[in-house]
Amino acid sequence: MNESKKRLIARYAVDRGEDFELITRFDDGTIRERVSKEDPRAASIMPRYPAAIWFERKIRDDFGIRFEGAFDQRPLLHHERWPRDLHPMRRDFDVHTVLELSDYRPYRYEAIGGDGVFEVAVGPIHAGIIEPGHFQFSQAGEDMLHQEVRHFYKYRGIEKMLEGKTLAEAAPVVARISGNESVAAQIALARIAEAAAGEEAETGIAARRALLLESERLAHHWTDLGFIPNDAGFAAALAYASARAEEVRRWMAELTGHRFAFDAIASKPRPWNPDQILRRIAGMREAIDWFENWIVGIPSLWDRMDTTGILPRSDALRYGCVGVVARASGVALDVRASEALYTHNGFAIQSEESGDVAARFKVRIAELRHSLELMERFVPLCSEAPFVFTEKGEGAFESFVESSLGELYLAVEMEEGRIRRFFFRDPSFVNWQALHRMMPGNIIADFPLINKSCDLSYAGNDL
Amino acid sequence: MLTYWQKRFRTGVLTERPEFDERMKVLRKRLKKGIAKHFAGSLAIRMVDSGSCNACEAECNALSNPYYDLERLGIRFVASPRHADVMLLSGVLTFNMLPHVLDAWEQIPEPKWCITLGDCPVMEAPFTRTFAIEAPAAEHLPITHHIPGCPPSPDRIIEGLLEFLEKLDTVKS
Ligand code: SF4
Repeated sequence: MNESKKRLIARYAVDRGEDFELITRFDDGTIRERVSKEDPRAASIMPRYPAAIWFERKIRDDFGIRFEGAFDQRPLLHHERWPRDLHPMRRDFDVHTVLELSDYRPYRYEAIGGDGVFEVAVGPIHAGIIEPGHFQFSQAGEDMLHQEVRHFYKYRGIEKMLEGKTLAEAAPVVARISGNESVAAQIALARIAEAAAGEEAETGIAARRALLLESERLAHHWTDLGFIPNDAGFAAALAYASARAEEVRRWMAELTGHRFAFDAIASKPRPWNPDQILRRIAGMREAIDWFENWIVGIPSLWDRMDTTGILPRSDALRYGCVGVVARASGVALDVRASEALYTHNGFAIQSEESGDVAARFKVRIAELRHSLELMERFVPLCSEAPFVFTEKGEGAFESFVESSLGELYLAVEMEEGRIRRFFFRDPSFVNWQALHRMMPGNIIADFPLINKSCDLSYAGNDL
Repeated sequence: MLTYWQKRFRTGVLTERPEFDERMKVLRKRLKKGIAKHFAGSLAIRMVDSGSCNACEAECNALSNPYYDLERLGIRFVASPRHADVMLLSGVLTFNMLPHVLDAWEQIPEPKWCITLGDCPVMEAPFTRTFAIEAPAAEHLPITHHIPGCPPSPDRIIEGLLEFLEKLDTVKS
């Protein structure tokens, strides 16, 4: 595997009136191409960058641009009854258009053929309280030969919805793209506003944001630390960890007036009691120590988690994976490693090498503990200075935030203080595409466990 | 496992916020009574996400954590709509989900009720309507009750379910 290869972060298009512009963001820079409107065609990069598959299929649905050399030309957002030849991200498409159901065009799932090989279809509505999406398995008995993820059932058209709005108007929607990474998305938008105004957040504001961002990570990781063992049949862990997640939600409500800190980044900070927060953090450090000590002593649980759902490091790199999924496969990638506030306060990337469910579980424990250490250092730095969205803004801006699910990328083009193009790449958008790499060699009964260990967002992905 | 039991005995039953616990106690009692009366002690809910931000689901999941522990009142979140009495609907009802939501609804045996959860399905969350959004849900389904909030907190959801049960005293499916 070529390790020096660039990482694909995002690929999307913008309608420029006369023609389209195709923008490809790699970790080392941005490439821009013109695409004619008369004959919208571009060269596919999916053979080289597998994560480009969804990006290019999405661009085709959004704008009607065809990709030459693409081995996957199926629609992505546009499901069976979507009206033909309708491309909502084109500027002449009215956001309020009422769609008529078209004739039913079946979706061709990826499937492996062969004697005795059969398919299992799961979703979009799953058993339990979970977001909708479809998983298609090719099975040889219990063994998974292949699995395809099909999403975008929750496609709300948010990119289009936000065009023409000011950043302040967009903020409440951005906070609700994906509830489990709301703080991260809010911070990403605030950074866009600061970039547009040519400013940078002062330390006190940045520390307060980071405190909330790490709280969000606590809630998220605690939830996973409960659900992963639960999917392996060990329900006691869920009882314990979900109670801790609840406590984090309550302290977020104390800090922001909202259990998920919706709209908190753009509101005036509430008066708070730093000593009380520090006491809570100390209590939670004890809790994670206790939890780890307890859970390492349950061999039947590790039996299920060890060597299950391995994502090899080479695949994590090839797909440009981010977040816990990447770090558990030995890829040292974390947006926080490039932020002064974090590096000055002892931030260190937490990673594992084995790439299995156990590795992702262990990374979550380590990160949770590390977040608590960082929060202790952030508390005295926090100020109560408010943050106000700028009314100005002209040009293209981007921001990165390490959400609880991984690197979140936001690119916004502004025109006279209003959004011209809003592009949001959820960390899950790349990670979902690598999920199928974890399945071969595992039995279907382990799918929920593997899926949960990655804990990806459907809402953020589908947008 | 020994560590667990040691901890269990040392900790005992926690009462972190006595006012909260008192309120929950009253709510639980009323809820249990309502479920006994209308659903023979067992209310089965099929939660369907029709395009949420996932916070409404997170709050429903929180109902099972030890602070709320809804299941002991006879409320179960079931996997199959065919086992359900109630469909609890979150999200803005996307164009892509609408046929599947209607499918699930059809699979629920009569008598059945639909409760909307959170501001999304009534289009009161901050989203503006787009081509991809089919909410308000009432344009597509008969809605018996609505639980507002963005998201409604777990105790608010419990209250909402209670209001629904009280409504059943007067309204029939
Ligand atoms: S009502 Fe609010 S919390 Fe619930 S799904 Fe909608 S945006 Fe999310």
